[in-house]
Amino acid sequence: MRLVVDGASCMGHGRCYQMAPDLLSYDDEGYVTIRDQTIDVPAGQIEAAEDAEGTCPEQAITLLP
Amino acid sequence: MTVGLLGGGPPPPSSVSQAPSRVQEIEVTDTASQYQTAERDLGGCPVMHRDFAPEQAAGCHWELAEELRETSPVFFNTFAQGYWVFTRHDAVRDIYKTPDLFSSESITPWQPEPIYRFVPTQIDAPDHIKYRRIVNPWFSPREMEAAEPRMRELCRRLVEEVEPAGGCDFVSGFALRFPTEAFLSVVGIDPADADLFVPWVEDFFRGFSGDPAGLEAMAKALDGIRGYWVDALEERRADPAPREGDLASHLLHSTFEDRPLTDAELLDMLTVLVLAGLDTTRATLGYIFRHLATHPEDRRRLIDDPELIPSFVEEALRFYTIVFGDGRKVTRDVEFHGVHLQRGDMVYALVSGANRDPRAYERADEFVIDRKRNNHMGFANGPHRCLGAHLARRELQLAVEEWLRVIPDFRIATDEELSERGGGAMMTLTSLPLVWEVTS
Repeated sequence: MRLVVDGASCMGHGRCYQMAPDLLSYDDEGYVTIRDQTIDVPAGQIEAAEDAEGTCPEQAITLLP
Repeated sequence: MTVGLLGGGPPPPSSVSQAPSRVQEIEVTDTASQYQTAERDLGGCPVMHRDFAPEQAAGCHWELAEELRETSPVFFNTFAQGYWVFTRHDAVRDIYKTPDLFSSESITPWQPEPIYRFVPTQIDAPDHIKYRRIVNPWFSPREMEAAEPRMRELCRRLVEEVEPAGGCDFVSGFALRFPTEAFLSVVGIDPADADLFVPWVEDFFRGFSGDPAGLEAMAKALDGIRGYWVDALEERRADPAPREGDLASHLLHSTFEDRPLTDAELLDMLTVLVLAGLDTTRATLGYIFRHLATHPEDRRRLIDDPELIPSFVEEALRFYTIVFGDGRKVTRDVEFHGVHLQRGDMVYALVSGANRDPRAYERADEFVIDRKRNNHMGFANGPHRCLGAHLARRELQLAVEEWLRVIPDFRIATDEELSERGGGAMMTLTSLPLVWEVTS
């Protein structure tokens, strides 16, 4: 599974790295660091990634197979 | 019609507490309204006359929001100059997420031409993000992490001060003080100055929510806050470098498009931070502690499993959304969710209703302490997402942690119905008398 964050939609709510602290982190302004990037989700982080996707108030996160 | 600085005009008869069956009636009782139906073809959209300002029994604004949401996805409110009210999650989200169509030039739908200017709250793209980037780092998760021990200490001291009395008015004894002291410590101001800010913020929002009797005190409060920052800026102006951890000093050394911020910008920014940062957290604290006082099983769960506190706080932000609605101004003629909006129209995005919309949330009308994937809009959506969200969350979590540690059991001290300030601005409990057994 891969995870992608749409940088234009991310508003820095911080819910994703709250849900998936071992997968995602924040920059100095509170945005997730991987804006407009696609990352691989390790097997142990799949549920956390799904929580991050479902919790984002901006629906900025997409999970890809 | 005379409108005050931010107020909603004269108080027409309230229709808030009516039975749901009356909602659909077209009610035009305010002859002073500027709105004239003859001017406009509303395309069959329901028309109502609603004043959201009056004080109500606690919780009534959420019931009203629900009633409005389930009656119609959109209606035209003939209050003041008239504005559209969008009641459901999809439209509210779209309003937040389409800022080129919905300008923040005015955020109070009954006042399309405000005489005040909050920066960056009322600034649109492309300038908005330039201001936000100046202040974002001050309220970032990293900064809040660093500030947490200080905030926890302030919180702990306040709780330990009230505990021996066996009871207090939670609002004046804690909810007004803690967010104020925490905010001041984050921006580098002596928390002792909370004594000045608490009454200013209280007076400001009594007027902001539309109480005509409060307008004079509100203007005075605004003068007080601005005067405080004028003095603070003056004291810092000659510094060759910004003072560590001091926001006012930092702003004096910040630039906007390679020029220093003007005095007007500095004051507009500092003032709105105070107004936005203090009353909101106080209001949410009130509803959280009313909930805890009346739900001993939830108190017990949080004491037994403190890791639930963050999700409890998020659910409180969804279920007890203190912003009744958010206003925006339409920038061009457009079809939007079934109605024809014209440039210059005001819209009201009823976020308090949207956050309980069963079309968007399972068990939407229940407080689910461990709700998963809770993508609520309690801090708004889009580019104007609450700047202080990370601070507010931290404060709310700390308050629950520290209070339950010292005062694990408490209840509401009165059988009388609690009341809440109107939905013209933020709903907030006017008081919350609590009692508990003193253990030591």
